[in-house]
Amino acid sequence: MATILIENLTKVYPPTPTYPQQVQALGGVSMSVTGNVFVAVLGPSGSGKTTLLNIVAGVEEPTAGAVRVVQDGVPAQVGYVFQEPRLLPWRSVLDNMLYVQNRKSDRSKREAEFYLSMVGLSDVAHLYPAQLSAGMQQRVGIARAFLVNPDVLLMDEPFSHMDALTGRSLRDYLQRIWAHTRKTALFVTHDVGEAVELADRILMLRPGGVVFDDIPVNLPRPRRPDDAAVHAVETEVLRRFDSMEAAVRFGDQRN
Amino acid sequence: MSYATDLPTTSEFGQVPGTPQGSPAEAVHWTRKPWFVNALAVAILLVVWQYLHSVNGRVPSIDEVVSFLGVELGGGSHGGVSRGEFWGPLSISLQRYAIGLAIGIPVGGLLGLLIGGSRRFRSVLNDTVLVLLVLPSVVWAFAASLWFGIGSTAPVVAVVLTAVPFMAVNLSSGIRGLDPGLALMSDAFRVPRLRRATHLLVGGALSNAVTGVRLAFMTSWNSLLIVEWFGTASGVGWRAKHWYDAQRFEGFVAWILLFVVFITLLDWLVLRRLEHRSTRWQQQPTLTFAEGEIA
Repeated sequence: MATILIENLTKVYPPTPTYPQQVQALGGVSMSVTGNVFVAVLGPSGSGKTTLLNIVAGVEEPTAGAVRVVQDGVPAQVGYVFQEPRLLPWRSVLDNMLYVQNRKSDRSKREAEFYLSMVGLSDVAHLYPAQLSAGMQQRVGIARAFLVNPDVLLMDEPFSHMDALTGRSLRDYLQRIWAHTRKTALFVTHDVGEAVELADRILMLRPGGVVFDDIPVNLPRPRRPDDAAVHAVETEVLRRFDSMEAAVRFGDQRN
Repeated sequence: MSYATDLPTTSEFGQVPGTPQGSPAEAVHWTRKPWFVNALAVAILLVVWQYLHSVNGRVPSIDEVVSFLGVELGGGSHGGVSRGEFWGPLSISLQRYAIGLAIGIPVGGLLGLLIGGSRRFRSVLNDTVLVLLVLPSVVWAFAASLWFGIGSTAPVVAVVLTAVPFMAVNLSSGIRGLDPGLALMSDAFRVPRLRRATHLLVGGALSNAVTGVRLAFMTSWNSLLIVEWFGTASGVGWRAKHWYDAQRFEGFVAWILLFVVFITLLDWLVLRRLEHRSTRWQQQPTLTFAEGEIA
């Protein structure tokens, strides 16, 4: 069983020539995620969501605090879906999949083809990324993250650059593929509807990188954005978001 | 493994994307095709040449030059002498050229990797390599002749010195132009260093590297011929100078023509194809269908 343990995580970026002030991206985040759950991290721009994900993925070092990402006591394999697809433009779709796969065999190729079929892209494996639409490229990004058989799946606003219709269809693909694999997932978003549609639990980050709220979403799957129950939870999350904003404003006034 | 999904796949929408019916090349009129344009350019050049011969007797005619070339190739006699001097000088020059490039391209490639991949090396080497690049190849030719005197060393050194900066600058700029997001992605997926070097660095900078190779081949050929002209007693450059000194204009033009034909054929048959292959991913038709059509 995969576990993500985050204790008092702080990240401060030092001043740079282009931005001569230090920036606190995370200000003491603590949380834990255990088991096959889908957790959405919801927060406005500047609340440190991407920084949090990068530290969990091990591609950034925290300033203070600790992160443990383990599967049965050993370091967990991580799959990452980025905001942009981040595909090698000079490699075919299939080669992009195999680039992250450590085993090189017919089996890994079959697995890559399987995950491409799960996102409806069996027929474009031989094409280059530039030949695909943005939505198709992002579907390759999703399939690639599942290909490494991750214990933990990290997703950083993967649909934020998509139009509403494309985003909706990609969410459908993600729901189906996740229902099939049920990996521990940490999904960063600023879209309340997206968070409610996908997650079992929503962690709300406030600006400055502090967990403000932890909201369970106990709704049956698959969920549709037009479901009344989804809409009700969305309203509740928005209400709490408003109270968070009020708290932030109140805090600002006190300072 | 199997997984049932009720979402449509690309195959349900008829033609597979990326395989458009009818190539764009088919729509181009034959008078605008590259082979026709090239043939036209050569024809114009020949007409101008023949015209110059008709107005100035010192310019040899096409016929005289072709006949001279035949003799040099060993296929006849000119002035009662059958020479067949073509293959000897050419093989000597090609040998020098090959050795020079075999050293210059890897050295330039290594420098390019270091400059492109390491900030420290960049700060030390970048300006030096740029200085080497801006020096014309004729400077390397003269410098090598002065350093090493008459013999085979000077031409080889000139080829090396000409090839290195072209390779280094092109490869390093290719590496520096890579999207840093791809490196972050590789970090996140724990892609091993060797695969990252071959797929990410080399793959991403390949088209720049091939451009560097192409430029190195073409400019080094100039350097080689200049060194052979001034600083050797063998090779293609020396042979051209021989006929120049003998005031045999047709011989001089014949060898100059050989220089041009050799490098043009090399470019058409090898280098351009290599470059085309390395940039194949940039030349594919971009699909314009909406996501909703297949998702």
